[in-house]
Amino acid sequence: MAALKEGEMISLAEAAVNYALKKGADEAEAFAYEGLTTTVAIERGQISKSSRIIDRGLGIRTVFKKAAGFSYTNILTSKAAVEEAVLKSLKSAKASKPDKEWQGFPCKKPIAEVKNTFDKRICELSPEELVKAASTMLEAAEKTDKRVLPVEGGIGASYLSKAIVNSNGVTSFDCGTLIECSLATVAQESGGVTPVCFEFNLERLYKIDPEQVGVEAARQAASALKAKRIETRSMKVVFAHFALQQLLHYTLMEAIKADCVQRNQSALKGKIGEKVASDILTVYDDGLLEGGLRTWRFDGEGVPQQKTPIIRKGVLEGFIYDNYSAGKEGKESTGNAFRAGYPSTPKVEVTNFHIVPGEKSPEELIGEIDEGLLVYSLQGAHSSNPASGEFSVVATPAWKIEKGRITHAVKGAMLAGNVFDTIKNISELANNERKTWQLVAPWVLVENVKVIGK
Amino acid sequence: MLKDTLHKILDMAVQKFGAEYAEVRAQKLFKTMLTIKEEKVEAAKEGIENGVALRILVNGAWGFASVGSFDSEALVNAISGACKMAKAASLRLKSPIKLVESKAIEDHVEAKPRKDPSKTSIEDKIGTTLAIAKIVLNYDSRIKSCTIDYLDLTGTSCFMNSEGTFIEQEKLYVWSRIFATAKEKDVFTFSREEIGSTAGYEIFDVETPEIVGERVAKRAVDQLRAKTPKGGTFPVVLGPNVVGVFVHEAFGHLAEADLTLSGSVLMDKLGKKVASEVITIYDDGTIEGAFGSFKYDDEGVPAQKTLLIKDGVVVGLMHNRETAQKFNAQPTGNARAEDFRVEPIIRMRNTFMAPRDHSFEELIEGIKFGYYFKSFRGGQANLDGTFQVGVQEGYEIVKGEIGMPVRNASISGNTLETLYKVDAVGRDFELWPGRCGKGQTAFVCDGGPHIRVSEVLVGGGA
Repeated sequence: MAALKEGEMISLAEAAVNYALKKGADEAEAFAYEGLTTTVAIERGQISKSSRIIDRGLGIRTVFKKAAGFSYTNILTSKAAVEEAVLKSLKSAKASKPDKEWQGFPCKKPIAEVKNTFDKRICELSPEELVKAASTMLEAAEKTDKRVLPVEGGIGASYLSKAIVNSNGVTSFDCGTLIECSLATVAQESGGVTPVCFEFNLERLYKIDPEQVGVEAARQAASALKAKRIETRSMKVVFAHFALQQLLHYTLMEAIKADCVQRNQSALKGKIGEKVASDILTVYDDGLLEGGLRTWRFDGEGVPQQKTPIIRKGVLEGFIYDNYSAGKEGKESTGNAFRAGYPSTPKVEVTNFHIVPGEKSPEELIGEIDEGLLVYSLQGAHSSNPASGEFSVVATPAWKIEKGRITHAVKGAMLAGNVFDTIKNISELANNERKTWQLVAPWVLVENVKVIGK
Repeated sequence: MLKDTLHKILDMAVQKFGAEYAEVRAQKLFKTMLTIKEEKVEAAKEGIENGVALRILVNGAWGFASVGSFDSEALVNAISGACKMAKAASLRLKSPIKLVESKAIEDHVEAKPRKDPSKTSIEDKIGTTLAIAKIVLNYDSRIKSCTIDYLDLTGTSCFMNSEGTFIEQEKLYVWSRIFATAKEKDVFTFSREEIGSTAGYEIFDVETPEIVGERVAKRAVDQLRAKTPKGGTFPVVLGPNVVGVFVHEAFGHLAEADLTLSGSVLMDKLGKKVASEVITIYDDGTIEGAFGSFKYDDEGVPAQKTLLIKDGVVVGLMHNRETAQKFNAQPTGNARAEDFRVEPIIRMRNTFMAPRDHSFEELIEGIKFGYYFKSFRGGQANLDGTFQVGVQEGYEIVKGEIGMPVRNASISGNTLETLYKVDAVGRDFELWPGRCGKGQTAFVCDGGPHIRVSEVLVGGGA
């Protein structure tokens, strides 16, 4: 099924907005979304599945006397179904309660330019080409180490497009591509099994290296064998990309959302201009990052995405806003209204949370550590306390660092602390920046992390 | 009419494209969602989704397609695409997929709610959620925020396969999650509760705004005076809510046959003792009204009560038709798909530990110093058997009595080692609703009685 064209997407949204206004809405907004995804999946050492998913739909927000309603439908071929969704949205608005702080949908602004977010080659990949790439990844993993079982993974290619129209004159369209290849592995030896290890490439352009992903996923699993327990004490911990993403996602990335701050759910409230992190930490929320996984011309409300300073040299500079939370403070939205697709209303989320990298190579970073832990992934990060920043998680897979060298895998080590102390204790940033979903960051060295072993 | 179209699609897959097996799942889903922040309705939402999932087996490889439409032409395109995809995938196949036999079934399953959420007005739903928010916010001045999400899902799911099964099932889920935060000086606390039912909107007659609201608010406030636990190994007593998440996360996932085959620590343990003899664990899809119950799974297999561990011995796993064939076992009705956008995979239903004979007092009386963990906040397991369960409500046990509350604790360890260290199981029983993520979301329940674990690693706070 061919993708809907820009004109088709816009007219769908426009028709819904016009119908809502005609039926008595004070304001209206329509968000059209289309996602076309082809995947080839690996399960237990073989390619055994492939799929094609076509998902399109329209979400309609209406406002009646300062009360908001929302409805969505995925039946786009019928005008009656779209009109019914508009009426439901309006009915919901009328059933809801007015919000005195509602200040309207955003107004039209010049849309930002973005780079490297669309690649025609990704749309044109055939199932055979994807199968070939997946086999390359699988064979590379198997060749690397006989003890490794590729548990699951695969390759997925997506085309995504969105259009937004509102009654304040916003009319925008954007489309982009995404390609992912990933492999999860375990290694088995004499009855023992490692925790799941994981490697992936996730890109907007067709620049993936399935062979390298296979090799690295296998290398990790093999080196996670023969894990030993560790003594309980505080030590240096290097958070690799994935572990850092897990740690920050449920804590720091929550604390910088304006709605959390306004609702007293953030430990960073009232701390703008204060030192909240190590001098070497500089963070931007960069919605325009070249080739960023969350780079789009506009956010879920049609506001242009932008680069927003969050922390500069350890000092808190700002928070991220959608139109509603910005309006409450008489500010402009920072373009951080995120939509998970047409069935959801926008909410404040980071775009590309960018930690500016340092100078040292990961090898140099490890080389200077007398005793520490290198952590690739965390188990249980979602059980952190988002309000206080406290976490208590398992580091797995993780490796012990002794006298500048990675010596052996570690099992069952827990890390406990508060993320707002953790970011003060960052002493080094490596130069190996990488995109891991919403985080773009290098490896980070943190001093004095409480490690609970046995 | 839809039935005829589905028939045509299946015939085409088998006759024209040479599929060994084909199935279609056509769904019409209606959702109502609310988000309440403090006493404000952020948005009242209602939506409709129509779609079809097609799954076929060609040359031993799966092809899957999902289309958000019942349009006959779109479905014909999708099935021919899925067959091509499956053929491409089969090129590198080492061991072709086969399915265990399953009896052909024709049935129509009706939901029979006392209060049908699809016939309950949105004003009523807004009223109920706002009432909860009011109870939470008025509980104590230190409560700073309250967020409530509400969802109800109704509709029908029509399943047909090339072996003669045709099942129409009405779907009904009512769910709500309530978050509260409290603050005093620099201490932030956080509390969460979930409500979930497949019976109907009448769940709010039992879990009334007063009962739920107070439970959430009291915990957030009580935690303000809590201390951080010591890190290290201690004896603990786990409440039914924590036992449930432990059974689900630490053991249940390892007993999902797809993960067992992927090398989970249960791989060579069938028929062997893996836990102390006081432990019996079930995964049961047949408990009336429970959040994880249904009559047929998304491969058309009847749900059943599956015994996983009996008196410490692993006696069963959770299967779909593919893994049941590999293990030479019966399918258990654990194949579930969140909606038509995704394929069915092995998921839990209502997973619990069976009660025994101890009272709560007997469980705590012998503990000089340890912890009582009453309510969880998240949990996660790994194939090697490492588990982590976060705790949102916990207390010290000092000289056999419940002492000061502790906050932000978590427990971790190796599942099988920990199951051996369970030395006493209580006689009470609770089942708690929740949602489980495994690439897609499934509605489940977890539970059990209070239990005592002679030692477990406790991750302390900062």
